[in-house]
Amino acid sequence: MPVLFKKNPIDVAFSIITGLASLSVLVFIIGILYVLFTESSPAIEKFGVMKFLTSTDWDPVRESFGAATSLYGTAVATAIALFIAIPVAIGIAVFITEISPDFLKSPIGIAIELLAAIPSIIYGMWGLFVLVPIMADYIEPALQSTLGNVPLIGILFEGTPMGIDLLTAGIILSIMIIPFTASISRDAFNLTPEIVKESAYALGATKWEVVKNVVIPYSKLGVFGGIVLSLGRALGETMAVAFVLGNNHQITTSLLDAAATITVTLANEFTEADSDIYLASLFYLALILFVLSFITLAIAKFFLLKAERKFSR
Amino acid sequence: MNDTVEIEVKRLGFYYSGGTHALKEISLPAYKNNVIALIGPSGCGKTTLLRCFNRMHDLYPGNRYEGEIIFKDRDILSKDIDLIDLRSRIGMVFQKPTPFPMSIFDNIAYGLKLRGVKTRTELSEHVEQALRHAALWDEVKDKLHSSAYALSGGQQQRLVIARALAVKPEVLLFDEPTSALDPISTAKIEELAVNLKREITIIIVTHNMQQAARISDWTGFLMLGELIEFDRTDKIFTNPSQKLTEDYITGRFG
Repeated sequence: MPVLFKKNPIDVAFSIITGLASLSVLVFIIGILYVLFTESSPAIEKFGVMKFLTSTDWDPVRESFGAATSLYGTAVATAIALFIAIPVAIGIAVFITEISPDFLKSPIGIAIELLAAIPSIIYGMWGLFVLVPIMADYIEPALQSTLGNVPLIGILFEGTPMGIDLLTAGIILSIMIIPFTASISRDAFNLTPEIVKESAYALGATKWEVVKNVVIPYSKLGVFGGIVLSLGRALGETMAVAFVLGNNHQITTSLLDAAATITVTLANEFTEADSDIYLASLFYLALILFVLSFITLAIAKFFLLKAERKFSR
Repeated sequence: MNDTVEIEVKRLGFYYSGGTHALKEISLPAYKNNVIALIGPSGCGKTTLLRCFNRMHDLYPGNRYEGEIIFKDRDILSKDIDLIDLRSRIGMVFQKPTPFPMSIFDNIAYGLKLRGVKTRTELSEHVEQALRHAALWDEVKDKLHSSAYALSGGQQQRLVIARALAVKPEVLLFDEPTSALDPISTAKIEELAVNLKREITIIIVTHNMQQAARISDWTGFLMLGELIEFDRTDKIFTNPSQKLTEDYITGRFG
């Protein structure tokens, strides 16, 4: 037996180097939080927490700022994105795991990964030059003349269809998060034990019944975790929406109006921030985004870990 | 003992999608209201053979059958067989308990619901009957609506048997049903299998020769995809006609 107890100097050096690399992650997180806090402290002092979160002001001239308009834009664009992305992504995942013949599985899988790898600025450009005209000329007028006349939901489609609005931003976001949600859902579906699926088939269940009654209930924790992770991505996405949202600080009932999200506000206004309180307010928004992302990530991890533990037993 | 043939296997061959020739020229009768055991060393094809009876291999593309399996005057390997109907007549229980992620009641009712039984009273009646049948009723009657995962492994396996029985199959396939269970649960399942043969025909794959000897009426010994010997269980275990069978049951290999 070789001597295992004596510490090899190369091993010691190796441990120190890798340990330092890992430690740097922690240092970065703390550093970023520290900068966000100190830079935003003038705005935190001036506007407080609740007042900043609920104020719809965004007025550089009177130096009065609030996060409500940006939060509203973020929430609505994200909601539209999830509303479109969840059914499509789950459909893709079901097709790949349960229905598709083997020779199609990997091409579709690769296509999805490619879609996820496209830089978001390209989605933004494609959105501005291709999707916006289509939305303005065809889809939005069509929505107005149909759903626009339905009581209650009609107010969602008021105004002049310009194409640069919450709906278009939500659609772009959904295209961006579909591959992500689909691949996490696929992994979750794959955790369903083959033998349990087989026993449903052995009872005479059809494919649809197996997916509905066995695969989805089995993997719902994982799928839910995946959806929350996608939500986190949608919250933080900047370039894809910056082009098509219009950066207009307003709370509007119509999805066909321009709006602002936290990320779009930050991207557009840092260079224009001419006063200290303006800049501090932008940092304050960034801090809020940081906290929101952190919370969504924590929720997602909680569900994904729970899903994993369920199967490791 | 009944000597009506329930299922007749005729020169059955089977190829997996990779080309493996897993079963070669298997012929055997499965007599009605008997327990038929399939034994043999790992990889001999006993589970592969079992999964032919409910066409489980059809779930994976590229698998191919040869020969015939006659059940109710029809070849169940033919293309125009309704697999959903076939699987409700020939049920299956697996190596590990496979409760679905739902309540005990809903697990049992699942097969019935698939077949369009909707009224609550009818479902309750069938569920109780199936659970009594599987000797599980007394243990679960007060917690029918709690999760099936709350049951012990042995109880889960009886639950799965009850679930298969609920749709009133004529044949039940057992694929090493006790391999994940403790001796007491195993004894209960064995007792259940023996009781069930009054109404149905049972084909059981087991790696446990004592189990085959205890509960089966007929035994088939397979090796490398071939049926070496098929005979009455007492004959196989006391006076086998093939040297290979004798070597296997006396523990000389496998």
